[in-house]
Amino acid sequence: MKRYLGPAAAALLVIALFSGPGYLERGSLNDIWNVSLYVVLASAWNIMGGMAGQVSFGYSAFLGMGAYATVLLCLHGWNAYATIPVGMAVAAVFAVIVGLPTFRLRGPYFTIATIGVSEAVRVFAQGVEWTGGSSGRRMPIQYGDFLHKWLPDVPRGQAIFLENYYAMLILAVVVVGTVWYIQRSRFGLALAAIKQDIDAAEALGVSATWFKVRAHALSAALMAIAGSLFAINFQYIAPNSVFAFNMSLQIVLMPVIGGVGTLVGPIIGGVVFGYLQIKLLTIQALRDSNLLIYGMLLIVVMLFEPRGVLGLIDRVVKFVGRGLPKARKEARHAA
Amino acid sequence: MPHEVILQAKGVTKRFGGLTAVNNVSFEVTQGEIFGLIGPNGAGKTTLFSCLVGAYPPTSGEIYFKGKRIDGMHNHAVVRMGIVRTHQIVKPFREMSVFGNVLVGASFGSKPKSGAVAAKFVGEILKFCGLAHRAEAPASSLTIGELKRLEISRALATEPEVIMLDEVMGGLNPAEINDAMALIRQIRDSGKTVLMIEHHMKAVAGVCERAMVLNFGNKIAEGTTRDVLNDPRVVEAYLGDHSAAG
Repeated sequence: MKRYLGPAAAALLVIALFSGPGYLERGSLNDIWNVSLYVVLASAWNIMGGMAGQVSFGYSAFLGMGAYATVLLCLHGWNAYATIPVGMAVAAVFAVIVGLPTFRLRGPYFTIATIGVSEAVRVFAQGVEWTGGSSGRRMPIQYGDFLHKWLPDVPRGQAIFLENYYAMLILAVVVVGTVWYIQRSRFGLALAAIKQDIDAAEALGVSATWFKVRAHALSAALMAIAGSLFAINFQYIAPNSVFAFNMSLQIVLMPVIGGVGTLVGPIIGGVVFGYLQIKLLTIQALRDSNLLIYGMLLIVVMLFEPRGVLGLIDRVVKFVGRGLPKARKEARHAA
Repeated sequence: MPHEVILQAKGVTKRFGGLTAVNNVSFEVTQGEIFGLIGPNGAGKTTLFSCLVGAYPPTSGEIYFKGKRIDGMHNHAVVRMGIVRTHQIVKPFREMSVFGNVLVGASFGSKPKSGAVAAKFVGEILKFCGLAHRAEAPASSLTIGELKRLEISRALATEPEVIMLDEVMGGLNPAEINDAMALIRQIRDSGKTVLMIEHHMKAVAGVCERAMVLNFGNKIAEGTTRDVLNDPRVVEAYLGDHSAAG
């Protein structure tokens, strides 16, 4: 019975979210969209950063590539959704090109290299003409027609809103599902082995570089989809939004808060962080100091519970001495 | 197919900067034998193992496995061809169960398996190595004796033709050493060729048919284990010269 508890809860949550427009106001739906975006970012990063243990602070680069691919191609008359595979491909190819030399670096050296690369991408996007430079690009509204065609009675503005809402929810389900699948696959086993002892993994026949390249490309491609949906929703992008180092930092922070390397951790992290973000941004005094708060949060997690919220749950459960064996197992498989 | 050379090293040298860890070592290992590699600490035994499996590229020299040249290949590629080594300082995947650790070997070795086939195979290996009762235990909870067995189990799970054991008896008590000796014979009897680095001389004398001795990176003796252990140069390498040792 117990093993069906998790999937049943997940199914209920998905149903509740998908039927959200039936009983929630627009503001709440917006919040759900934002939180789903964060869950996507956290879970996609988690494949490379958590499951394979290769901590990158440069993932805004892939988010930005998806967003820019969508906006720039839409300006050339593409259908917005048709641009998604292009963004994925650009991000994945870039991930491989960057990965092959940087994977030789281990631990903090790899992390530092990723910061350098993503900053270079941002500066490039700011510097050249065709990206719109530092002022960014606005894209034409030419979507929202999928739902509008199916539901001609719904006003166009509402259809566009719903389309964005469902697109992000579907992506969140796909990304979390992907992580769930990887955890049970040969691929996931290789990543776990690489994370825990890369030399031992090699000594057992695991081609560490090949699996790291694949994980990196997959994380990057999923990140790029999020970037495309981001652009479609906001219809405007600039290097300082999608390519910002701030964004890279947030992407790392969420899985760390929730529990790195697990399925549920990045979801918890995304929800906690997304909610905090929404609340913080409404308070003028905190809006400018949010980085300070994130930094402190990161330090607190690292110092007191490196396994994040899941680790915390594990401790409480152990303290009480019963129940939630799954959370415990998840937390143990992390770290 | 007995008495066929399965692994051959020709003039293998490994330098780390100015230090020559392995100096121009040549030897051959015959299919189905248990071949001992002995020598004082720092003689270059583990470095030689690392060169043989491709964990380090040798500075010079050639290595052949069944006639195919393998020096310069990556470690994981050598493993897939059928040569595997264990680590003297054990390297378990600490967050995984014993089962998971061995599953890595079964999933990525010379004959990769998945699903139920892999699970069954891992079960058999654990039984063979006497770890079946610890299958679900996290690797971090094992004793040193169990960790050494886990190293062997994982290596066997890659289905090697040649298995290289790096001091699997270090830190074991006499009863565990006897078990380990029996296990090594069983591994050989299952059709594999065994190379072993070992400091425990009774174990070497007990299981190895032939042996080679390294000292300061140089090969100083090779032959039947009994001859090698009685060789004055070997005694000297271990104990210093006769007058000093008394």
